[in-house]
Amino acid sequence: MAVYKRRYTPYTGSLTPERSRFFVLTRFAFVDLFKSRFFVLLLILSLVPSLFFAGYIFIANNKAVQLLLPTGPADMFSVEARFFTFIMIVQTQAAFLLNCWVGPILIAGDLTNGALPLFLSRPFSRADYVLGKLAVMGLLLSGVTWVPSLLLFSLQAGLARGHWLWSHMWMVVPILLCSAIWILMLSLISLAVSAWVKLRIVATGVIFISFFIPAGLGEMFNAIMGTIWGRLLNFSYLFQIILARGFREPSSLLGTTGWNEIPVPAAWGALLFVCLLSLVILNARLRARETVRG
Amino acid sequence: MNPTIELNGLEVQLGGRTILHGLTGVLKSRAIGLLGPNGAGKSTLINTLLGFHSPSKGSARVLGLDSHTNGKALRSLVGYMPENDAFISKMSGVRFVRYMAEISGLPSAQAMERAHEAFVYVGLGEARYRPVGTYSLGMKQLVKLAQAIAHGPKVLILDEPTNGLDPPARKRLIELIREIREASDICLLLSSHLLRDVEETCDEVLILRNGQIASISNLVEERRANRKFLELETMGAEATFTSTLEGLGCECAVFTNGRIKVVMPDGVEIRAVFKVAADKGVQIRRMNHRRDSLEDIFLNAMEQTGAADGRI
Repeated sequence: MAVYKRRYTPYTGSLTPERSRFFVLTRFAFVDLFKSRFFVLLLILSLVPSLFFAGYIFIANNKAVQLLLPTGPADMFSVEARFFTFIMIVQTQAAFLLNCWVGPILIAGDLTNGALPLFLSRPFSRADYVLGKLAVMGLLLSGVTWVPSLLLFSLQAGLARGHWLWSHMWMVVPILLCSAIWILMLSLISLAVSAWVKLRIVATGVIFISFFIPAGLGEMFNAIMGTIWGRLLNFSYLFQIILARGFREPSSLLGTTGWNEIPVPAAWGALLFVCLLSLVILNARLRARETVRG
Repeated sequence: MNPTIELNGLEVQLGGRTILHGLTGVLKSRAIGLLGPNGAGKSTLINTLLGFHSPSKGSARVLGLDSHTNGKALRSLVGYMPENDAFISKMSGVRFVRYMAEISGLPSAQAMERAHEAFVYVGLGEARYRPVGTYSLGMKQLVKLAQAIAHGPKVLILDEPTNGLDPPARKRLIELIREIREASDICLLLSSHLLRDVEETCDEVLILRNGQIASISNLVEERRANRKFLELETMGAEATFTSTLEGLGCECAVFTNGRIKVVMPDGVEIRAVFKVAADKGVQIRRMNHRRDSLEDIFLNAMEQTGAADGRI
């Protein structure tokens, strides 16, 4: 089918492995994303806090620089679990904002003009499709959550020397686990919203609403019923509970005390339930053909 | 060699309703037309062959591959051009076709090359860098065809390919489909409301009505049979003319005003009819081959399975 011959010829060349084809979606999505200046700006802004944290770590490990500061050397520069908890809170909020911008367009663009049957009429399953889109969010949000956190951890380990690395190695686990659940939940919520809402601005609004409205309703429920279980609807709070417990921090960090705090297993359960619910919503929407019942 | 399509009691239920009722049939030709009134089940059959719907009973096979149990293997052979709009509006045409080719498994460089070739082949070479959303309806149809052929499928499924096209665009698309068919050993399944589209591109036709097979007809054999059937208008000695033709093995039926219908046996050419007419001093004023068109086949099929309701 050479251009100059203008004749149809079958393709006889090699094919890529089926198991890695989902990554085509990811690659094309990233190319499209990086065409947007606003996205690039947002991505840079979401990484700016990490630069400040890196500066903080540098100062904390450099007595000469501390001497130059007006306050002089002090114990205020402490790089311990609480510092990394704070880094994670800031970076996961940045991930939330990035997710609100990127998530809504991932599936909506394919559904608006009925392109989904074209994907699914190929040796490409719905699971491959979701995996390809999920990989976009996974890679992107990883780049602003656990990757910078681990880099900062490595920086601190390198500058602190001695036994700091070994005595703090356990922090790698909460960094990875907490990032994983947050990324998974954000990605699935935004994909589910993207599958149902075509307009980006509306979809972004729906993602915001899905975090804040249930949290408000939960607090109302708490106030009326005199319970704490309404907080199961506050996803950010649940995440911070998991984060604080993961970093062995006290509840007071979150403004709660032991008696009015949701248990960590319940927090995990609630977040995993949200992920499952998002998958069910995606499954209902991602069909090559809609079936009208009746 | 496996039949192109094999249906074994295929029943498909959607939303609690049975859409396809136990379809059974074997279609062996390389170019198969799918005809039927609205709601006959054409698109459901195509979607079932693609594995979008699961059969509630029976099975469907394409080139020997079961649409349900070997769905992925089957779809790796297929190029599909859907009936409705199917594109990503902000992507340029060539990037869209490359994207689809890569999902079909072509490596990136080959996918790009084939996308350009497919675009030029369907006649959209000049518009390939424009976003697909800005294309006209005819161009969008051609993009759908380009993405269906870019990865070099073995089976091309076209669902209403000429929908909404003006006559020149329709003619061009039909020519392209015929070219694709003739340039390779690709199998074609074309669903259309337009009998002419099917007549011009297909060798065999499957006619559906109310989710049942109304007829399976081999158009090549029909055309061959039609060539043996002559309608004559004559003036002169009809009786001796027909008796001489019958002596050659022809079957003749004489009507009023010199009209004669002749069924010629194998081995007898039309030249023999002219020769007999000349010998017997009979003038042949008009000669027609019977043109039992696809429309006749379609209408017969509709009448056989119940009163035609006029919806096509």
